[in-house]
Amino acid sequence: MKELYDVIVVGSGAGGGTSAYVLTQAGLKVLMLEAGREYDPVRETPMFQTPSQAPLHGAPTPDKSGGFYDATVDGGHQIPEEPYAIADDSPVKFRWWRARMLGGRTNHWGRFSIRFGPYDFKPRRRDGLGVDWPISYEDLAPWYDKVERFIGVAGANEGLENTPVSPPGVLLPPFPFRAREYFLQRGLESMGISVAAAHLAILTQPHNGRPPCLYATPCLRGCSIGANFQSTTMLIPQARATGNLNVRTNALVYQVDLGKRGLASGVSFVDRKTGAHHSVRGKSVVLAASTVETARILLNSCTSAFPDGLANESGEVGRNLTDTIMVHTVGQFPALEKLGPRNDDGASIFHMYVPWWGYQSQARKQLDFPRGYHIEPHGKYTMPEMSEMGQYAEDCRAPYGAAFREEMRRKYGSYIYLSGRGEMIPNEKTFVDLHPTLKDKWGIPAPRFHWQWGESELQQAAHQQRTYLEIIDRLGGRFVPEQSVGVDTPLPTGVHETGTARMGFADKDSVVNQYGQSWSVKNLFVMDGSVFASHPRSPTLTIIALAWRNSEYLVDQARRRNL
Amino acid sequence: MTGAGLIKVSRRTTLQWLAAITAGSNMSITCSAMAQTASSQKGQLENAIARGYGTDPDLINPSVPWPRTLTPRQLRVIAVLADLVLPGTSTAPAPSVLGLQDFVDEWVSAPYPQQQTDRKVILEGLKWLEAQSQWRWAEGFLSATDAQRKELINLMVPKSSAEKGPPYIFFRRFRQVIAGAYFTTPEGAKDIGYIGNVPLPGYPMVTDRERIVLDEELRKLGIKAN
Repeated sequence: MKELYDVIVVGSGAGGGTSAYVLTQAGLKVLMLEAGREYDPVRETPMFQTPSQAPLHGAPTPDKSGGFYDATVDGGHQIPEEPYAIADDSPVKFRWWRARMLGGRTNHWGRFSIRFGPYDFKPRRRDGLGVDWPISYEDLAPWYDKVERFIGVAGANEGLENTPVSPPGVLLPPFPFRAREYFLQRGLESMGISVAAAHLAILTQPHNGRPPCLYATPCLRGCSIGANFQSTTMLIPQARATGNLNVRTNALVYQVDLGKRGLASGVSFVDRKTGAHHSVRGKSVVLAASTVETARILLNSCTSAFPDGLANESGEVGRNLTDTIMVHTVGQFPALEKLGPRNDDGASIFHMYVPWWGYQSQARKQLDFPRGYHIEPHGKYTMPEMSEMGQYAEDCRAPYGAAFREEMRRKYGSYIYLSGRGEMIPNEKTFVDLHPTLKDKWGIPAPRFHWQWGESELQQAAHQQRTYLEIIDRLGGRFVPEQSVGVDTPLPTGVHETGTARMGFADKDSVVNQYGQSWSVKNLFVMDGSVFASHPRSPTLTIIALAWRNSEYLVDQARRRNL
Repeated sequence: MTGAGLIKVSRRTTLQWLAAITAGSNMSITCSAMAQTASSQKGQLENAIARGYGTDPDLINPSVPWPRTLTPRQLRVIAVLADLVLPGTSTAPAPSVLGLQDFVDEWVSAPYPQQQTDRKVILEGLKWLEAQSQWRWAEGFLSATDAQRKELINLMVPKSSAEKGPPYIFFRRFRQVIAGAYFTTPEGAKDIGYIGNVPLPGYPMVTDRERIVLDEELRKLGIKAN
């Protein structure tokens, strides 16, 4: 391919999609490379299909491990042609989730869109652990505002500690709390814990020509009416409409190519369908392939000038890998059996969440772990699913017959899942590198995970569990260990990996500067979650805000011919 | 297996019975026989060519690509058993009315590890039921009376969660699959109380009545209204 693009963007998800949108709006010619296939939510989302219309009534299988109707295409925890390894001495068997589709994980994610707060950008200054970001909350706030306005985020401003408020008129009206969420709110407030409206990238009113939510289909299926955020409805079509975007799918990038004066000249990729190799040329390169994929590309791009991988003079590429600490605890609440049927679908996800309430306790040294977590509670009359109903059956005391049916009916809707999302501190033992011998179908070295939870993570997980048990007890509930995960069972992984190309103040201990720009290869940018210097909570809104800000910087630098 | 007293059977009946249960299996009539591995089941796992739906199935018009494999007799037994687990009511049909025996066939014929494991458990369980019925009453499960069938089911119900051997595994797994299958049908979902999956112009907020009910429950828990 002979053409010289202004920018090659690798990846089409939260970071890649945003970058392509901003760059093409500014008139730059962009080639976007996506490893998966073309995907169009408008045509492909199963909006009202029911479980019984699906094979196995929609139960998860190795082919669709998020359930049949989950939007993920050609993905999951295993992609047969694209293996990954776990290091022999790794105590944790990290399970890595990938999608191979245009728009990446923005197609099936939960749409929870929360800002990082001022504390989160200067964590080392606060407790001496990890590193600070080279930017403050105030530096990024204008782009949080811009992104919330653009994609439409429903929520409210409670002004709780380290929970920023959006400017007036930016947030759309919040989703009202559900009955079970009201029940939980009262219990939490009696324990001195405040709740907040969830910030969701789902429309509660018409916005920029898009219709509001229909309060029905689970968002993990995607949305054919564009009422929630996904790259394939919000960013890529709009970028294409400028006439400045070319998209090539089934293109698995494995290397950034270097040209004269040590600058990036483009990338090389393999066509996943034909196996043919291609190289494309760009004046700049943006890597947004997702945290582990981006690290893999950098590590695989070795030259004599960069023997340890491109842009890796600090040695930090692949390092500082983190994921969210998640403990799920389930309670069954007899009090909730008193409620009658109602349509509870709403936004499919929780309308209420519990921001971290422990800052003051930490300041008083009353907690045995740093940072914190928020709680995502799930409790409602959900559309019955195979695995959920099977678990309820296991929880019935009546063995069969009319009494069994009565017990299922009585207990349906009386379960609440308390699910935590906590901050992990980067550690020396948790990183990704390239396996020395294992390769994918096309001969590209496979990533190898090294993963260990530190003491702080395990202490925090224990606190999550204790807290959830206390909440369940407070509300007269019964803990259901068989459905709970993360304390006596391994902590789940593969939700929010970040950190492998972290930003920093200088090249000695970071991979990129505050603009996601490589210290040593100034026309090479990183715009996915790999740039995070810390990982306090759900990363998506921050990935988009950073990609927006940093793409504007790229445009500015290109115009000044600084790249 | 509890001893219910040996029943005298004729030699002819014994031979018929032995022929029925040993066809394709080496199972004897004791409970411990269910612990036999799947090697005796190889003949029925003829799904080497069966494919799953793949990692990119059509979600708008789903279809099942693998063939079903159960016999008419197995389907009838499953139907009877399913209707015992979830009897129909005046407002909700029994599983067999919804054809869920065919769903169980789809489930145990699916070429995925979980379903293949369930296949072994469920087919062994069906054999156990048949053998027990023959041993006790010299009749197949389908010819047994309702009371006799209930007697067999009661043998399969674990008395505590500590009980992990067969036939308890069969009962628990069968109940899970049937309950899952049933309540995910439109009729079952309606029966259990789900009234969603319809487009709405807004989220129906918590009603005053719901709030009153919850406030009363909270008051009982010592959580006072504000």
